[in-house]
Amino acid sequence: MTSVNKIFFIVIFVWLSLARLFAQDSFADQFNLAKKLYDEQNYFDAITEFKRLLFFDDSEIYNYDTNRMIGLSYKNGGKFSDALRYFTIAEIQSSTPEENYNCRIEIIKINILRRTTHRALTMLDSLAADAKCSNKLDDINYWRGWTYIFSDDWEMASSSFSEIQPNHQLALLCDSMANDLYSAQLAKFLSIVPGAGQFYTGEYVSGLISIGWNVLWGYLTINAFMEDRVFDGLMVGTLLWWRFYSGNIQNAEEFALEKNLEKTNAALRYLQYISIEKKP
Amino acid sequence: MRYILTFYLLIPLSSLPQTTSFDFHLPENIKKFADHLFCEGDYLRAIEQYDLIKQILDNDTIEFKVMLGYSSLGFHQESNEIFKVVNDKSNFYADAYLLSLKNQLLIASKLINDSSIALFNSIQMKSFSKLTTISMLYDDEFNIPKEKFISPFDEEERNSVSSFYDYKVEPQYKSPTLAGIMSAIIPGSGKMYVGEWGDGITALLATSLFAFLAYDNFSADHTTRAWIFTGLGAFFYAGNIYGSVASAQIFNARIDFAFSNGLELFLQQQNYFLPEYDFCK
Repeated sequence: MTSVNKIFFIVIFVWLSLARLFAQDSFADQFNLAKKLYDEQNYFDAITEFKRLLFFDDSEIYNYDTNRMIGLSYKNGGKFSDALRYFTIAEIQSSTPEENYNCRIEIIKINILRRTTHRALTMLDSLAADAKCSNKLDDINYWRGWTYIFSDDWEMASSSFSEIQPNHQLALLCDSMANDLYSAQLAKFLSIVPGAGQFYTGEYVSGLISIGWNVLWGYLTINAFMEDRVFDGLMVGTLLWWRFYSGNIQNAEEFALEKNLEKTNAALRYLQYISIEKKP
Repeated sequence: MRYILTFYLLIPLSSLPQTTSFDFHLPENIKKFADHLFCEGDYLRAIEQYDLIKQILDNDTIEFKVMLGYSSLGFHQESNEIFKVVNDKSNFYADAYLLSLKNQLLIASKLINDSSIALFNSIQMKSFSKLTTISMLYDDEFNIPKEKFISPFDEEERNSVSSFYDYKVEPQYKSPTLAGIMSAIIPGSGKMYVGEWGDGITALLATSLFAFLAYDNFSADHTTRAWIFTGLGAFFYAGNIYGSVASAQIFNARIDFAFSNGLELFLQQQNYFLPEYDFCK
């Protein structure tokens, strides 16, 4: 090859590289603008600018990042269905196992937030079974823990976090939460003695009222039988006493569930504001 | 050789100006992007983009698409605000006029009194006739012969339109007063009149049972139990009268709901009789 030809090829290479570099600049600027809007939490405009980039970027260089950012913007705006759509596109566009994993985790996080627990767990199982994700088991367990938190299964959540580290901050929190919750089954069982279930859940007035009604109708039922008024006894017993007795059991269960919901919501609010690196 | 070298050097140079500074915000680029958003169904962003260029491009298609976008988003008032500035010489004026009538119907749910316009072609005229005729169903004074009412509609639409007409002329209401009186005379009969046979029979049996138990206990001088059964019987009796009146009212509300819901669904399926606009081919 002559020296002139060598120079020629070098010059061509340099110019083409420069051309490509500058060509990317406008699109890089557009990406940065959209990213800035996203960082400023201006999600509506961020989506517009990301979509603009996506529409004009024939080189498809930004396809993965843009689709992922649109997904994140929609997610932050609470538009979970749209977010899922764009994360799925980003997953298809991903070029490395890391990118693919990140998209799948984002989809799982949406499922956690939407409380589509079964779907989230199935996807996590599929990630755990994937050989390419063998170094991500801690992360997978971490999100499994969050899935259980959002499905109110604090014991399973604790066990998932414990697999990462026995004294994991979230494992301890889930343990304490699991111990703090009322057992609806126990509340029902205790209500065999009218009012006891309500006392267990801390509803003392309701418990006393329940005892009162059951004593009254119980007395009248037994009294009717003792006076050989069998039909009267059956009627008072079934239509009144039994109604109040079964109502007392249902009531105790409802109190337990209601109180648990309050505790769970308080715990989720706490988790929303405490400083943890990764949240759904 | 120098010429060849110069020529090759100019190739990347010539491509450089084209690719280095892509202007996303040129009006034609904004329009392309807005059209893309519109076809994607992202009307809110499409409208925002069209707003940026409508002064520059002065395009009546854009005006109509913005109107259509607002209407699709359910912003009927905003859509009709756009119609106010649509030029009557515009190619889309007749379409915009029809769309404004649809918006009007959705905003006010009342009879459309507007007249047809000379710009209508035969398809638009048909849409107009159907839309104005169906809007009569929203009017309190409804006195049009059935044949005349269903005449603008196509064969496959006539069954539904005919059933809406029948409802409007003679709704199958139940009288709450009659239901209450019936239940006061024979407990449960008001419920049966409304069609709730199970509840009616239960009310009849429960009230009769408690009345018997009260009578029997008074006869046997068991006054405590007698008063308990009297109280229960009276509670069931009064509750049954109240329940019968409420059931008749719920029945009527359900009929009204089924009518308005059915009509809305029918109109949505028929796209309010408007022509289909395909800007995305």
